[in-house]
Amino acid sequence: MQTLGDHKFPHFFNYPPYFTLQPVRETQEKQIQLWKELILDYCRMQKIFVINVEEVFLLFSNPAIERSLNHEARVAFLSALVSDGRAEWTDKSHRQCLILWHRIKDWADIILRFVKENGLEESVMTVEEIRSGIESRGTEIHGMERMVLMRALKVLENKGKLAIFKGSSTDDEGVKFSV
Amino acid sequence: MRRRAGIGGLQNAAAARDQYRLLGENVARLRTDLMKEQLSTFRSQLEDFARKHKNDIRKNPAFRSQFHEMCAKVGVDPLASNKGFWAELLGIGDFYYELGVQIVDVCLATRPHNGGLINLEELCKLLSQRRKGAREVVSEDDCLRAIGKLKVLGSGFEVITVGKRKLVRSVPTELKKDHNEILELSQAQGFVTGEEVERRLSWSTGRATDALETLLDEGLAMIDEGHRDGKRRYWFPCVSSVSSFVASETI
Repeated sequence: MQTLGDHKFPHFFNYPPYFTLQPVRETQEKQIQLWKELILDYCRMQKIFVINVEEVFLLFSNPAIERSLNHEARVAFLSALVSDGRAEWTDKSHRQCLILWHRIKDWADIILRFVKENGLEESVMTVEEIRSGIESRGTEIHGMERMVLMRALKVLENKGKLAIFKGSSTDDEGVKFSV
Repeated sequence: MRRRAGIGGLQNAAAARDQYRLLGENVARLRTDLMKEQLSTFRSQLEDFARKHKNDIRKNPAFRSQFHEMCAKVGVDPLASNKGFWAELLGIGDFYYELGVQIVDVCLATRPHNGGLINLEELCKLLSQRRKGAREVVSEDDCLRAIGKLKVLGSGFEVITVGKRKLVRSVPTELKKDHNEILELSQAQGFVTGEEVERRLSWSTGRATDALETLLDEGLAMIDEGHRDGKRRYWFPCVSSVSSFVASETI
């Protein structure tokens, strides 16, 4: 298997035709399935939450075989993830994609567990503290993309598990847990 | 016999021919009887042999293959039925049946990738991966025999030879000669371009395009437009070792 950094790639990654969007439906379906899994795996391992379609993204090229996914292919694979509920376009022009290797509701569960495990049931924290504070180190929450974190917090707010409020500085919002 | 002229001579010649013919038939009959006897002796010796070497036949693919050849020479097919002396003695009917089922599985699993055509070597490799921990090692010869049995069941499986390789076809679509030739051409690098097909096989553009597009539609080829020379390449998973790579994600 080839490695790019620490990631081990599946073998289809080394087969040139997989970098061209296939015209034949059955073949394309297989191709899309393989790429969807790879994208999710890679993003999970590398903790990548956002893919900008028009920018360089390591996963979309394999220099060893001199192939890259063109725009159409990238959009096709990401759209498939969106259809599966594992990604979301952040804009109508489909330039940026939020990758949900954990679904939003799963993130909400993770945060809830984190709160309970750290005895934070009645506490107040800023959003920034949640994602980069000491407590979150070593957990998946650490370094979370803010967009995703906010979404998960909103889900919990709707369930009455917390309240989001604006802090004194405009930069950061705070959370009062009532788990 | 002395030749004689005239009608008498002709009659003699006819009688002589008849006699020779009768003699010939007798000799033939004697030979057949002798052969049958020898065959029957040979068969019972083969049965003794099988009994003695049951374990070797089960465990050693090379030995097993030679055993099959010996049987074939004597007109014995140990796989003919699951019942009867041979099946009971060796219990290898089950082995091939099981192998057949696994072959079908592997072919189905890899079909989205290779269009229903997989090279024999890859098939065996994938089977070995699947059978890790099984007592019996599987050889290409075993695969061919299992596929032979599948054919008899009318399952649409067939082994075809393209160039140096044997490919196992698990879909009903038969390859036309034109397709075969392209596959053979692709064995060198795993792919061909339209231009290459035209040049090497001396075909018109239309003929090359038709054949390539059909292979594409059948799922036997994949296109690659990423090379910097801008030429479209048609890759054939069944001639390269990729089926196993891709399939191992799904098996």
